[in-house]
Amino acid sequence: MNADLLIALLAAAVVSGTPILYATLGEIITEKSGVLNLGVEGAMMTGCFCAFITAKLTGQPWLAFFAAGLAGLLAASIHGLVCLVFQGNQVVSGLALTIFGVGLANYLGTPYIGLAAPGFAPVPIPGLAEIPLLGPVLFNHDPLVYLSYLAPFGLWLFFRHSRFGLGLRAVGEFPAAALAAGLNATAYRWAGILGGGFFMGLGGAYLSLAYTHLWTNNLTAGRGWIAVALVIFAFWRPGRAVFGAYLFGGIMALQLRLQAGGANLPSSLLLMLPYALTVAVLLFSCRRRGTLGPAALGVNIEPSS
Amino acid sequence: MANAAPFIRLDQLSKSFGRVRANHNISLEIRRGQILALLGENGAGKSTLMSLLAGQLQPDSGHICLNGEEVVLSSTEKAIHCGIGMVYQHFKLVENMSVLENIILGQSKSFWLRRGKLAAQVAELALNYGIDLDLDAPIRSLSMGEKQQVEILKLLFRKSELLIFDEPTAVLTPTEADQLFATMREMAAKDKAIVFISHKLEEVLAIADEIAILKQGEIIDQLKPSANLSPAELARRMVGRPVLLQVQRRELETRQTVLKVQGLSGDGLEDVELELRQGELLSLVGVAGNGQKALVETICGLREPKTGTVRILGRDWQDFFATRHSETGLSYIPEDRQGLATCRGLDLLDNFLLTTRHGFSRGPWLSKQAAGEKLEKLMQDFNIRPPDMSLAAWQLSGGNLQKLVLAREFYRKPKLIVAEQPTQGLDIAAAEEVWRLLLKAREEAGILLVTGDLTEALALSDRIGVMFKGRLTALMQRSDQAAINRIPQLMAGLSTEDEPIHEEVMQ
Repeated sequence: MNADLLIALLAAAVVSGTPILYATLGEIITEKSGVLNLGVEGAMMTGCFCAFITAKLTGQPWLAFFAAGLAGLLAASIHGLVCLVFQGNQVVSGLALTIFGVGLANYLGTPYIGLAAPGFAPVPIPGLAEIPLLGPVLFNHDPLVYLSYLAPFGLWLFFRHSRFGLGLRAVGEFPAAALAAGLNATAYRWAGILGGGFFMGLGGAYLSLAYTHLWTNNLTAGRGWIAVALVIFAFWRPGRAVFGAYLFGGIMALQLRLQAGGANLPSSLLLMLPYALTVAVLLFSCRRRGTLGPAALGVNIEPSS
Repeated sequence: MANAAPFIRLDQLSKSFGRVRANHNISLEIRRGQILALLGENGAGKSTLMSLLAGQLQPDSGHICLNGEEVVLSSTEKAIHCGIGMVYQHFKLVENMSVLENIILGQSKSFWLRRGKLAAQVAELALNYGIDLDLDAPIRSLSMGEKQQVEILKLLFRKSELLIFDEPTAVLTPTEADQLFATMREMAAKDKAIVFISHKLEEVLAIADEIAILKQGEIIDQLKPSANLSPAELARRMVGRPVLLQVQRRELETRQTVLKVQGLSGDGLEDVELELRQGELLSLVGVAGNGQKALVETICGLREPKTGTVRILGRDWQDFFATRHSETGLSYIPEDRQGLATCRGLDLLDNFLLTTRHGFSRGPWLSKQAAGEKLEKLMQDFNIRPPDMSLAAWQLSGGNLQKLVLAREFYRKPKLIVAEQPTQGLDIAAAEEVWRLLLKAREEAGILLVTGDLTEALALSDRIGVMFKGRLTALMQRSDQAAINRIPQLMAGLSTEDEPIHEEVMQ
């Protein structure tokens, strides 16, 4: 494989990893607050369609991008309603959200299958894009990719150095401690769910606005599930999520290239690669000391009597 | 100081749950610079009173005055804002965060945490009160005593003026308890108000400036510790009848060996050796988490011995548990009364039949009638209240549930009894009854008693062993007073050499 091919592959890894990165960060925010949201796929798909239709109707990609975030937030609020208001089971509610979100987006999108919408095009960053190797791999993309470079760092700052981040982590670890410190644990969980849903929506938006530019059914194709697995791989750290997302992006890009290059393998096997890797990654990153998630993950806050 | 207006005055405070009067017309003054001890049996209304002060519950009638002005403590936040802080029995600390993060949680006013500045403030505060802690250490690496210090620092950092301690010494070694008392005195000297809930009478006498006794939701007595106020007198006032605080224990002739542990290691244990005979009660004392759990679980068949041998009633561990049926002669009285010992949702009869089916089963069928008749008699003999076997386990108070467990286990006429913290959380009267029952059972069995309460070990044991870091560091006869005096040091893992005993606090 020559250098040009490698650079092209790495650049493609960044592009196809970006939606996964947004979604993974969203799930990290949610899980840090102690809520397991298995509805990532649903929130992504909702965002994905909302972005497409907004861009198609208004021609404004940035507006579409943020509308997608709001759509993801709205989808996640269903999860919040079930888990925080009615103390429902987080796993069941999340699964329902996935089925609902994917179904809704596919249904509403049926008339638009195969149609295109305006989106984002690559904008090389002057100066940085000329650096050998790094330039074409990292700095010759659309603005949404550049934004995704900043997000993990911002989240790390938020979790580690802001009082709201500290509160959010405490609520995810031990809500009683947060309550005893006078924090409103339920409000923090709402923030975690809604903030997380916003990022999941952005991940979906990337698919329709920058990755494909056109609408088909099941555009997310399981990326939401990969994000759920990546959170565990990333040990709930935004920085590690970047590696995971690009690793999976790389596998997805490679698999496409192998298919296009006429590799002598059934395409179903190649399509399976990212998901097989998900299982493998989980096997190796589970249950190591100090890498367990927030202690109160998946446990509802008992309402005080 | 005593003439100053009280920091908090409770005026005719009442709170009922249904028909139960948890608190009735409680009036109490809590003053700055003083340590007020609240004494009472379980169910006397101590927790309710504290919940009212912490803003978790609202009184039905009466009011609370702060610095002479009436306040309504409508929420936990409101109580915190008023300067009322609680050190709960179960710490409210985030294990995976550092000491500093736990202390500043919810306290920073600015969006970004200024860690350096906050750390300096916390360090200065700790220095002022003589608390020595590594602020960057994660909570999970701390001992129970250190965790409690973090809780105290949390309250001091948010400028609490009243600190309420709910049975603070239950989880501490004697040395740590001494340190806590020193800190409490320091806080009182710095004009904080301290409320101290306990049912350990010696402690209350040692530390309190004033004692209020609660009984059935009312304050029945308020007194100051003085030279002629003895623990026994205090207990009499609290329970309402003379309490011996001591049980008659006579030496019994020991018979066959029922338990022999040799060179047991693994699961955090190191080379544990012990032997127990019928007619003997051996206590293992030590701070929880020093290997007692692993030892008990191994003996009771919940985990396999890694290295070393365990012989139960003359049979090898493997052999004993391989051919186990209901009448093996081994009884386990777990610490976790509502988890391991009983099923909280099942009624008392079903709970009785959980471990004791011999004589009550025909083939696959249970004869509930026969069991019911037997249990009815047992509930009378063991004075279990209310005497209604159709109640679910969770509906019984801790003391009565414990007596049910004892009744069930002793009915099987065990030869070896392993009892884990059998009186934890019980009030004096109930504890006394459990002690009596254990000593009675000793006549037919060898008893291994795991306890964190030294008084209990001293009252009941023929021999006492000390566990520290998985080792049985000492094993002594009850009669060996010199060795007994060293137990507090041994529990803290200090050297076994003779050292003067610090008795001033406990006396």
